[in-house]
Amino acid sequence: MGIFDRSTKGQITPSIRITLEPGPLAFFTETIGETNPLYRDRDAARAAGHPDVLAPPTYAVVVGTFADQKAKRAGAPDLLDRINGDLRVLLHGTEEYAYHGLMYATDTLEVENEVMHFTDAKGGKLEIAHIATRISHPKRGLLVEASRRLIHRLG
Amino acid sequence: MTVTPTTAQVGDSLPPLTFGPISRSTLALYAGASGDHNPIHIDLDFARAAGMDDVFAHGMLSMAQLGRLATDWAGQDRLRSLSTRFTAITPVGAVLTCTGQVTHRHEEHGRVLLTVKLAAHLEDGTQTLRGEAKICGTAAP
Repeated sequence: MGIFDRSTKGQITPSIRITLEPGPLAFFTETIGETNPLYRDRDAARAAGHPDVLAPPTYAVVVGTFADQKAKRAGAPDLLDRINGDLRVLLHGTEEYAYHGLMYATDTLEVENEVMHFTDAKGGKLEIAHIATRISHPKRGLLVEASRRLIHRLG
Repeated sequence: MTVTPTTAQVGDSLPPLTFGPISRSTLALYAGASGDHNPIHIDLDFARAAGMDDVFAHGMLSMAQLGRLATDWAGQDRLRSLSTRFTAITPVGAVLTCTGQVTHRHEEHGRVLLTVKLAAHLEDGTQTLRGEAKICGTAAP
């Protein structure tokens, strides 16, 4: 028997607004070792025609996490609570992004998480939750579509 | 001559990137910076209680390196997609080598789209991530 709450299939979290605060974004770019000035130096980014420093490609997952944390602080279940994820046996299986536009520091974005479906693998030894995240800008439209597989190791 | 997205052909390699050694401090910082507070990456007691010998690195810290490999080479405005499968755990102390190779060059309606196969390996040769990037290879993207 699996652990995930499969009755959550199809659930979409209410859209959550997240601002890309420059401090936390800088903390992230430093931590991943990014040295390109387009990610570190606002003047360099502006000189290259951008409104502000860029968020790196995998910052999409962070934006999704921040939205989830904001929901939880407001009293809503976060994604793992929702699907009954168990951190002791949880693995990150895959992560995918389709990019339609760039995310910049100080952007205020709309974030939505969706529980797509659940599958099983390896004769029931693994169960997989398929999660999607959509990040949009009110004027620039859909920027990033993300999808990930979260895996429970069973038995 | 340096290969760029507009000149790349199938079989060309991207300049590789190394990251690490990934210390426990790196994992603590990444937990804070990413908001991923899963204790399996930062709390040895939790990891042992879950049956692991030690904490291990966030997969997304390694994927961030594949992102850097792609954007160092192409610039982020050419990056159309980035995906990965996490194929093995990355232990504390790991030094990652990230590589990329152009596997397809597709032209349609005057636009060029490159498929780049990405990978991250440990020093002992274990592959930890296997991924792909789609990169625009048109002169003015």
